[in-house]
Amino acid sequence: MRILVTFSLLILMPLASPSADDGVPAGAAGNCMTCHKEKTPGLYRQWYLSEHAKHNVTCLDCHQAAAGDRDGFVHEGVRIATLVTPKDCGRCHKTEQQEVEASYHATAGRILESADAYLAFAAGGQPAAIAGCESCHGSKIRIDPSSPNKLNRDTWPNSGIGRLNPDGSNGSCTACHTRHQFSKAQARRPESCGKCHLGPDHPQEEIYRESKHGNVFYTHVNEMNLGADRWVVGWDYSAAPTCATCHMSAAPNQKKTHDVGKRISWTLRPPVSKMKPHWRQRRENMKQVCTACHGRRFVDGHYRQFDGVVQLYNEKFAKPGGRLMALIKKKGLLKRAARFSNNIEWIYWEIWHHEGRRARHGASMMGPDYTWWHGIYDVAKHFYFDLLPAAGELGDPEVDKFVDELLKDPMHKWLSRSTSDIKKDIRSGKMQELYKDMFKPAGE
Amino acid sequence: MSRTVSWILRFLHGLAANTLSSAGVVITTSSFLAFVFLEILRLAGLITNAYLGLVTYLALPALFILGLLLIPLGWWLLGRRTPAAGKIEERFGRDATEPGRLGSKLFLTIAAFTLLNLLFLGAGSVRMLGFMDEPVFCGTACHSVMNPEWTAYQSSPHARVRCVDCHVGQGPEAALDAKLNGIWQMISVTFDLYERPIPTPVHNLRPARETCEQCHWPEAFYGDRIKRIVHYSMDRDSTPRYTTLSLKVGPGKFGPGKTNDGRDSKQGHIHWHVASGNLVRYEPGDPSRLSVRWVEVRRADGTFERYTNRRLSSVHGHGLEVRVMDCVDCHNRATHIYEGPEDAVDRLIREGAINRKVLPFAKRQALAALTGEYAPGDAATGIDLDFRAYYRGNQPGTAAASDTVIDKAVSALQSVYTRNVHENMNVTWNAYPNHLGHRNGPGCFRCHSEYLVNKQGRAMPHDCTLCHSMLAYDSNDPFEFLSPPDPESPDCKMHLYLNQEFTGHARGSSRDPCPMSRKASNTGGK
Repeated sequence: MRILVTFSLLILMPLASPSADDGVPAGAAGNCMTCHKEKTPGLYRQWYLSEHAKHNVTCLDCHQAAAGDRDGFVHEGVRIATLVTPKDCGRCHKTEQQEVEASYHATAGRILESADAYLAFAAGGQPAAIAGCESCHGSKIRIDPSSPNKLNRDTWPNSGIGRLNPDGSNGSCTACHTRHQFSKAQARRPESCGKCHLGPDHPQEEIYRESKHGNVFYTHVNEMNLGADRWVVGWDYSAAPTCATCHMSAAPNQKKTHDVGKRISWTLRPPVSKMKPHWRQRRENMKQVCTACHGRRFVDGHYRQFDGVVQLYNEKFAKPGGRLMALIKKKGLLKRAARFSNNIEWIYWEIWHHEGRRARHGASMMGPDYTWWHGIYDVAKHFYFDLLPAAGELGDPEVDKFVDELLKDPMHKWLSRSTSDIKKDIRSGKMQELYKDMFKPAGE
Repeated sequence: MSRTVSWILRFLHGLAANTLSSAGVVITTSSFLAFVFLEILRLAGLITNAYLGLVTYLALPALFILGLLLIPLGWWLLGRRTPAAGKIEERFGRDATEPGRLGSKLFLTIAAFTLLNLLFLGAGSVRMLGFMDEPVFCGTACHSVMNPEWTAYQSSPHARVRCVDCHVGQGPEAALDAKLNGIWQMISVTFDLYERPIPTPVHNLRPARETCEQCHWPEAFYGDRIKRIVHYSMDRDSTPRYTTLSLKVGPGKFGPGKTNDGRDSKQGHIHWHVASGNLVRYEPGDPSRLSVRWVEVRRADGTFERYTNRRLSSVHGHGLEVRVMDCVDCHNRATHIYEGPEDAVDRLIREGAINRKVLPFAKRQALAALTGEYAPGDAATGIDLDFRAYYRGNQPGTAAASDTVIDKAVSALQSVYTRNVHENMNVTWNAYPNHLGHRNGPGCFRCHSEYLVNKQGRAMPHDCTLCHSMLAYDSNDPFEFLSPPDPESPDCKMHLYLNQEFTGHARGSSRDPCPMSRKASNTGGK
């Protein structure tokens, strides 16, 4: 653990020589500044414009290392570390550190055991895993005694949100709070989250941009008061919410939090979505934020529509698709043994990991196009015309039987009916009847 | 008397037996007379142009010898056709060969002339070697090749020190070495074999400690030096910004204990590198010595340390000569100082050649004009057009009101350009790195870098205040850091550090001059 150099930001009293007892020459930080102003003027200027600079929080307050730190090295007479971990930030920002450590973000570095990492290492290759996956999820920082800053260069630079740090802490504050200005405005903007939350498998930033929320944000960005110290939606700004507004920032009846899961009720990541533990409280937390701008009925209505899509996806495609794949694997019907070595696995993977997520995320954030064209439409197309035919090609009677049974399900039966019959059922509302239970969350 | 003169005339006439020997007589006699004539003029103070030495001491003696060689050659050709003996009587008269007490008249005359020639050539050679030791010879004999260095030299602090004092040295061996080297230079100029720009001669310089220390011996190094650098901003007023350094150029002769900036005094200051008892050796990482593979230091107290460059793998490029550090490892452009365009413009503004009070954006426009890309030979016109056009086009009021101010600026810029840019030799702006400091080249950072580490993996110190204290850094106030720091400024801690680093003492007050969180603005969200 790094030496406690100074005092919390909240202690406002000026105190004499804060680092008198740790053997650092007085004014050492001034020495850092002298050179770095010249040698890394951009870095220096970013810091100069930061809140840290305004409060005389200088280089060593974050970068000083203790004698025992494995990533510590002596630089110009002072033991420092390149890596600043949540533990270091937490010396002043205690609450934020604790919230982050408790959040799902902090677990992102455990990706090495996940299917995504397997795919990147096997089908791709380590360089892609380092510069791709680990850049968002976080690397496991390794110590390399021969490296100038003791950090292995495959694992650093890295500011992935779940970085596994040598001091045992998880995460990297700079994933969102970019060095060295640590601007609140930057962290609050959607682009900050969009560093990772974008693309074919989880296009949150694109969905936000498609949604009214994003639309209004980009129009009225100047009215967003983004740099304000206090940033309570409804009080300090009202034009539009950003990612931070709904998931983290304060609302009149909600405290701000760095635990991004505190207001999320569904898991939209896995093949089949589930309600999270304590989902009612989580959903209520989110609704508190929504009601800063929306009426209660509006908010409830949104959740009804959102739940409908998630459960449609779950019941109609995800669960039967998962059962089909389980059956195929159980019976050992695949030609190759390794995971992802058969085409049908990629089909199924994209259905849930890409298209199914797009549909669910689209519905959660009111992105119509992502819900349908990039979402359920793609799921249906690839479910009916890629996944099922690929299963049929395996020529296994039990699999064929499973598919035949599945297509007898009222939701899938349309495949064997005439267009005019189906249209009749749509007009009469009979078709819609099939989905009426999906609008209620599973626990209700 | 008249008999002697008429005999000499007959003798000379007699020597000119055919075309070749006639030419020889004419060439020898006239170059001799010309030499005597020019020397008389020079001694009389009527000729002061040193450049004429090329004629007097190089061209004329050479012609003289050529003529002398032609005369016997002509006679030898003559002798092949008719017997020479008959010819001699025919050319010089019967009495010429009559034997006298000491020999025939002809023999005596030839002997006398030979003696005279030897005397003349001897004296001429001395004069010639002397002339070749003059800077004007080095600077102008190979005009286009040496012109950049010659130009830089003439306006340098060493302008009164002869080239040969540093480049050749004392004694016949040094002279012989230089002449042999000169032959190669003549060949490479003749056949266009030389590099452009001429590389800095790092390998065949005389040992600097023998040359430089004739005047600058370590015991005479002076202490730290305050240097105030003015950079003018690119704004409308070309506002001056000051960087003031206290360069720690002393030899480090402090007593035991700590120096005033807290360092161990045996480390001393910059000239400690050559202070007596200390030895610094290094292996260059490349032939032009812009990088260092390893460096070791043996201090006066017997301690030893070696730093290895972890960036230069031990595989490539070994075998470069290990070198004991001396003056030129840092003072690599002593005398041959080129000015960078920005420094030059700053200087012209400071000296008043460019008037920033009258000309808006003077710094920006002057720099733009000076660093424009011009076809060879077009620079003077180009600078004029570029600079003037701005004030005609964008600042018409200025142009009319200050034609003389613009003229003055333009001619100053033109002369800076002529002094520093030599297209024919590919000497453009900052063509040669300067190891003093770190503004134009790696300088001190060749060794003092994070990449040179000792056995324990510690990097050689390379912080700014190792070599200089800072009294101002890009500031409005040339001595900013001598005043107490402003607790409201983000630079507060840097200011405090630099103040204490220079003055050598922490302020007595127990109050922290740069308290953390002096403003209670960050109350956070909710």
